[in-house]
Amino acid sequence: MALDDIPRLGCGRSIDRIWATTDRPPTAHEEHCEHCQTARTRLQGLREATRLLRESDLHNPALKPRPAIKNAIMGVARAEVRRGSKILLRSADNGTTEITEQALRSLIRFAAAAIPGVHSRRCRVEIRSAAASPAGEDHASATTGTATTAGPRLIVNLRVAAAPGIVIPRTMESLRREISNALPAGVGIGAGTVNITVEDLYDV
Amino acid sequence: MGDHGPGFEPDPDEGSIVARAQDGDLAAFEHLVLTYQYRLFRLAYRMLNDHGEAEDIVQETLTTSWRGLPMLADVDAFGGWIYRLATNKCLDLLRRRSAHAENCIRPEDMDTIAQAGVLAVSAISDPAHEAEWSAEQDGLTAVLNTLPPAQRACWLLREMHGRSYAEIGVTLKISPTAVRGTLARARHQIAEGMSQWR
Repeated sequence: MALDDIPRLGCGRSIDRIWATTDRPPTAHEEHCEHCQTARTRLQGLREATRLLRESDLHNPALKPRPAIKNAIMGVARAEVRRGSKILLRSADNGTTEITEQALRSLIRFAAAAIPGVHSRRCRVEIRSAAASPAGEDHASATTGTATTAGPRLIVNLRVAAAPGIVIPRTMESLRREISNALPAGVGIGAGTVNITVEDLYDV
Repeated sequence: MGDHGPGFEPDPDEGSIVARAQDGDLAAFEHLVLTYQYRLFRLAYRMLNDHGEAEDIVQETLTTSWRGLPMLADVDAFGGWIYRLATNKCLDLLRRRSAHAENCIRPEDMDTIAQAGVLAVSAISDPAHEAEWSAEQDGLTAVLNTLPPAQRACWLLREMHGRSYAEIGVTLKISPTAVRGTLARARHQIAEGMSQWR
């Protein structure tokens, strides 16, 4: 029997067809066909038993893993956590201050959460150190009047899902402003660039 | 921001939670674990009829997902992916079980053992059996356990978990049309089996 063969009753009707119509009154054929009547009764019984099993399994306390399972999963996740690369915030004779990309992401997500209609998704943060930037490269941003200081600057690439119905350009401008304010306040380094990609609309 | 804690606006969509977990965000991953551990457990339990083994499947599946998350191309595919991982782990375990049984058991005993197996997993010894269960539910779980594993997985994924034909097809490496056929045969067999159960 081929894999996609649907079982048929003695009268030639397919099981699928009976299954799809058990909630409707029997057809003229079904009213007089013994095969169909038997199949209908059995499949109706199965449908009801399936519904009951689904419901009872859902609420059955015996059908849950112990809390230790979740703890073990999270234990592994914590042990293998990916915090991304480290970014040097400050280097001086008395010590250095570094921050992980993950911590920066949290800061950025916290800022993004203040903007209604935006769910932050993946986020990449890089640093462009002042020394590493060839002279003249910052010319474009310098003329726009933002982040003109010569210190290191962060480059944020943030992907987001937006609520349907929001005005995307205006909302993303608010988001950019929120992030651009939060970073210097939190880590003392400005975001030179905040690239935002709206990759999806949520709840559609 | 309300009372939802740092960096977590109220109810982000699942795609956004998956994306954050891909970036290594533990709180987002924990959210996914909480969402999926019970569903995966119910699937694994009905596949394996063993509480401890079902727990192992949940743990392995979600741990594997943490490691594989960064490679997941489409955040909306997370649900299907995690069900696929769990289903295949169950099928692997059942294959190992039957290979083990064949190595340890004389072929002439197989029939008796198969029958005893059906009885052993019947409703009475089922730890998930509940007092208010109907005879139909007892019959259903007993007959379900007599189906071949892939067919059982197909029925469970569709009827207990509402997964799509396309997704089940990818999991079981068959076409959506074949899923439809497998499902129809499973329903037929269960309905027949239940009628002989009482």
